[in-house]
Amino acid sequence: MINLLRRHASLLVIATIGAVAAAALWRRDGGDAVGRALYHAWDLFLFIAPSLLAGLLLAAALRQLMAPGALARWMGADSGWFGLSVATLAGTLTPGGPMAAFPLVLVLAGAGADRGALVAYILGWSLNGFQKLLVYEVPLLGPEFAIMRTLITLPMPMVAGWIARRLPIAWEAPK
Amino acid sequence: MTGGQAVLWVLALVALAFCLRRGPGVVRRVGSESGQSLLKILPMFAVALPMAAFLAELMPADAAVAWIGPDSGFMGVVIASLAGGFMPGGPFVTFPLVLAFSKAGAGVPQMAALITGWSIFAVHRIISWEYPLLGWRFVALRMASALPLPIIAGLLAELVVEVFPITLGVP
Repeated sequence: MINLLRRHASLLVIATIGAVAAAALWRRDGGDAVGRALYHAWDLFLFIAPSLLAGLLLAAALRQLMAPGALARWMGADSGWFGLSVATLAGTLTPGGPMAAFPLVLVLAGAGADRGALVAYILGWSLNGFQKLLVYEVPLLGPEFAIMRTLITLPMPMVAGWIARRLPIAWEAPK
Repeated sequence: MTGGQAVLWVLALVALAFCLRRGPGVVRRVGSESGQSLLKILPMFAVALPMAAFLAELMPADAAVAWIGPDSGFMGVVIASLAGGFMPGGPFVTFPLVLAFSKAGAGVPQMAALITGWSIFAVHRIISWEYPLLGWRFVALRMASALPLPIIAGLLAELVVEVFPITLGVP
């Protein structure tokens, strides 16, 4: 039961916010406004549906074609900018949510990646993970914005990893 | 279908062709995985899209202009970066909300900062995944390394939109 709640916690939070907002809108503008908002939401969904389908197919195909974990041996402490860029790329290629990405940090650490590479990896995933980009950002916000934001933030994980290697914060993978 | 959607479909078909070269079983796995993801994502969209639509209706048309509008400049970028860190939930919440904000007058650079801030700081994700799995030292290391990045992203986006008039959302 608690597990079920935890897994669906964000869904429940969103549903609650949505219900409260719908009630507030109903009180202020009447039932018509609620209906209009629902119609807008449906319209938006119809518009993004083609991108959503293509994004899901592309994401699933890429998952079959590559394995981010295989890149770990190029991510050691002496790997320099090359290691940081490999780590960033691996992060970008990691599909799925935090339940997939954070455990992979431990896998990569075990395979020899240093703290700078791990920071770059996590930021590569969270900033520009291809699945998030393809399934949500491009369909909802439009390709121009998504491409601009991706290009701007592309080098950022490497910079952060470079900084992390120089910070006096030691980290070892928890056993 | 827009140009962006067409490009996405071409990419998907090329990737599928590569999968087909590895065998029909791989393509079948792609199909069944896509179906499973779709089943997982549809309930989220069914909840998040109406929520964003209600909020967009509720927000007065210029509510966001003063704080995070296109002319809010550096302060707007800072506010949006911070706000991004406290956005609850995954991408299916954040991106529809960004759409609602932009309807309420938020600027493009500010929204780039908000998405970057959410990607880097997402407090709920740190509490429920990063801290328990990797420990507070890792959280501190990552935060210290990435602290100014959302603000830099917003300022860079500001430079870009001065040259290319990029807009948010669907035409």
